[in-house]
Amino acid sequence: MLFQWGLQKKKQEIQGKEGKDQSGQAQDIPEEPIHSQLEMNIDIVRHTTGDSPDIVIRRFDVGHERTIRAAMIFVDGLVDEKNVCQFLLEPLMTATFPISLLPADLFIWMEKKLAAVGGIRQISQWSELFTELMSGRTIILLDGIPLALCASTKGGQYRQIEEPQTQIAIRGSRDGFTESLRINTSLIRRRIQNPNLWMETMKIGKVTQTDVAIMYIKGIANEEIVQEVKQRLNRINIDSILESGYIEQLIEDQTYTTFPTVYHTERPDTVAANLLEGRVAIFMEGTPFVLVVPAVFIQFFQAVEDYYSRFDISTALRFLRVLIFFISLIAPALYIAATTFHQEMIPTPLVIAIAAQREAVPFPAFVEALVMEVTFEILREAGVRLPRAVGHAVSIVGALVIGQSAVEAGFVSSAMVIVVSITAVASFATPAVAIAISARLIRFLLMVLAAMFGFYGIIMGILVMTIHLCSLRSFGVPYMSPLAPSIPANMGDTLFRVPTWAFKDRPHLISQKNIERQGNNQKPQPPGSNSSNDSNRGETS
Amino acid sequence: MEKVKISARQLFVLIILFEHGSALVIPLGVRAKQDVWLAILLGMVGGILLFLVYYRLYRYYPDIPLTSYVQHIIGPWFGKALAFVYTVYFLFLASRVLRDFGELLLTFAYPETPLFSLNAIMILTVMYGVYKGIEVLARTGELFLTFLYVLAIGGFILVISAGLVHLYNLEPVLADGWKPVWKVVFTETLYVPFGEMIVFAMIFPYLNNPEKAKQATIIGMGLSGINLAITMAINVAVLGPELVSRSTFPLLDTIRNIQVANFLERLDVFFMIALIIGGFFKISLFFYAGVVGASELFGVQNHHRLIYSLGFIVLLLSVAIADNYSEHIKEGLRIVTVYLHLPLQVIIPICLLVIAAIRHRYFNQQS
Repeated sequence: MLFQWGLQKKKQEIQGKEGKDQSGQAQDIPEEPIHSQLEMNIDIVRHTTGDSPDIVIRRFDVGHERTIRAAMIFVDGLVDEKNVCQFLLEPLMTATFPISLLPADLFIWMEKKLAAVGGIRQISQWSELFTELMSGRTIILLDGIPLALCASTKGGQYRQIEEPQTQIAIRGSRDGFTESLRINTSLIRRRIQNPNLWMETMKIGKVTQTDVAIMYIKGIANEEIVQEVKQRLNRINIDSILESGYIEQLIEDQTYTTFPTVYHTERPDTVAANLLEGRVAIFMEGTPFVLVVPAVFIQFFQAVEDYYSRFDISTALRFLRVLIFFISLIAPALYIAATTFHQEMIPTPLVIAIAAQREAVPFPAFVEALVMEVTFEILREAGVRLPRAVGHAVSIVGALVIGQSAVEAGFVSSAMVIVVSITAVASFATPAVAIAISARLIRFLLMVLAAMFGFYGIIMGILVMTIHLCSLRSFGVPYMSPLAPSIPANMGDTLFRVPTWAFKDRPHLISQKNIERQGNNQKPQPPGSNSSNDSNRGETS
Repeated sequence: MEKVKISARQLFVLIILFEHGSALVIPLGVRAKQDVWLAILLGMVGGILLFLVYYRLYRYYPDIPLTSYVQHIIGPWFGKALAFVYTVYFLFLASRVLRDFGELLLTFAYPETPLFSLNAIMILTVMYGVYKGIEVLARTGELFLTFLYVLAIGGFILVISAGLVHLYNLEPVLADGWKPVWKVVFTETLYVPFGEMIVFAMIFPYLNNPEKAKQATIIGMGLSGINLAITMAINVAVLGPELVSRSTFPLLDTIRNIQVANFLERLDVFFMIALIIGGFFKISLFFYAGVVGASELFGVQNHHRLIYSLGFIVLLLSVAIADNYSEHIKEGLRIVTVYLHLPLQVIIPICLLVIAAIRHRYFNQQS
């Protein structure tokens, strides 16, 4: 029957497109046991994989008299070939078997005594066999045994650990996540060397069968949130996930918002810090971007260096970043409102200068601003997508032609160019790209409102935006917490960053049970006055 | 009713924003001349006494809003009629505040924009906020209160550093005796903004900790009263009692006088932000009370459905309520105070409390 299934598969391949099954997904491997005849098994593997040349099938003989045939199957490039040859193939082929064994005993002998790899187990189902094979394990089949050995020999080429590209820190670790799930999780394990760092893996994507792992610290993370994450991940029923953005969009609380409710990062230290605050991290094979939930608004203004450098500069930088966010949000809208409706609010010499510049400009301020903003967005998009070498050309065109010549030609006023430039620089200075993008979209809405109602429009726009922000939740946690609802104990890590010894509590709404982060009396004191400090030093919360 | 809860801290925030709402920008109690701060503080004391009446009623019926417990107190027929009156009253006040707000905006910044479109933008925002619910409104309030306070302290420092405060403008205290002050208290400041606290009788059931309601409310009202008194006192000190009593927006005139270092001047936008944020929360709370009252009264399960229609009514009413601003102001002082505020904020709640107290005593004796 099984063989028939194999042949059927072959027929379908010949038929081509009509052979696709009803659901539009790739053919599911049926839940059937492995056959006992080796040749038949090899045939089925061949047919199922379409004789792909990277599926290596290595036949060899084992046994006292070398009479029992066996085969080893692995995917070239997914396994560590040196490992396979040295610790699997060589012992199996060179081993001397003292007595003649039955195939069943031989099978167990091979598992227990010959295969010199860490993880090895028996499997009996085809579906399991193909899953393991495709994830980089080596399969050993023996003639006469309806079972297979599966040895973990994962390996192959990956990008090396490099400095993260998107979140650069002057002070801080230089390692960033790679595309390998295992390397990524090991980077966290090295930072949090604690058995309570728990991990669960699952496969998502019917076709891609992508490995996804969730990680949290048992006892710190809120169980309800962990359950919620698992439930939302298990709900996903999709053919493929190629990047963590797929997962993000499938598990976020609200789709119709420009604000990100899932945090993503390339930095292991950021993930470790978030795990220690009670959050849950979602890793995925094939992307260096790790998701962190639940996310709150203020998190997108926190850079890792805030915690590494001293609190005074960190606080100043936090304020600066919030200011930057507002500048990138309302700068063009303010220009439009001030020049169209509220000229009296600009100091007189400046308003005369602006009016003189705008005299030659044929468009109303709104059109002027819109033209410049759209031009800038085009330049930016071109700069991101173009190859590096061409990128310089774009920046020259942007700076000279559009910046200078547009003013000289009388398309826009130079004040407008300044406003657009400030907005552009501000939107690049936001530490998390995700929040800069939402500011980028809302900016245009605010420009329209400013053109219609001046400052009134801008304030109403900000008001609606704030109401919207306050109504958002990320995995049940209010998005604006700890600002609204205000939690005084957690205020120290919002617009301010209090000294490290004053970080007493974890975020109350995220880690609900185990909130104490450090002992009392952590403030450094000059020698001679620290009588009570020593007793607390060994304590961990 | 929504199934959400707000904390005592959030109630406090809502009260502060509500009380400051339009009271901060309109010429509140200016007929008391330089004693206006005294009139506000006395109004506040009266308002707190009135609140204690509402609070007793709330403690008798901690789980239901005003429009529901009137039906328990005076029976379904009269109760429903009274609940209807209160619902209409809240919606009417929402549209009055909306009109105030639109007129203010119209006169000082947008003389050529139609009142309707200014009001429409505001009511759309209010509808969105009310749609999101009281919890979201409260959280938004928490964010904006901080912002407003920073703004207020900044403005205060600017007024002082610009050398505008002339304390002799506040003298003599009680030049004409107590009589004009009491008159202003009982015709203006007691009702607006302190008596309007009746709207919180619709909000109290959402509290997660009823024990703290009294404390939060009294502190909130006290702080608002003091803030308003200080603001009006500064207005008088800067502009002088005569100018204040003739001014349409004393606070705006004060802010326009600020001139520091030839650079910080024409800070009208400060005023506008205070006006819009306060106006938003005041209209939102009235509108919310109206929507919840109507949905309770007419048995609408999901109060979201009423938001669109009632919002449109409030918008139209705000335009149709008076032909011009002076008529609107005159209505506010002569008619609304006497025929609406006095009975609905003072007389009826006290009667209700007496009836409820008798009922409860009788009921307790029986059981």
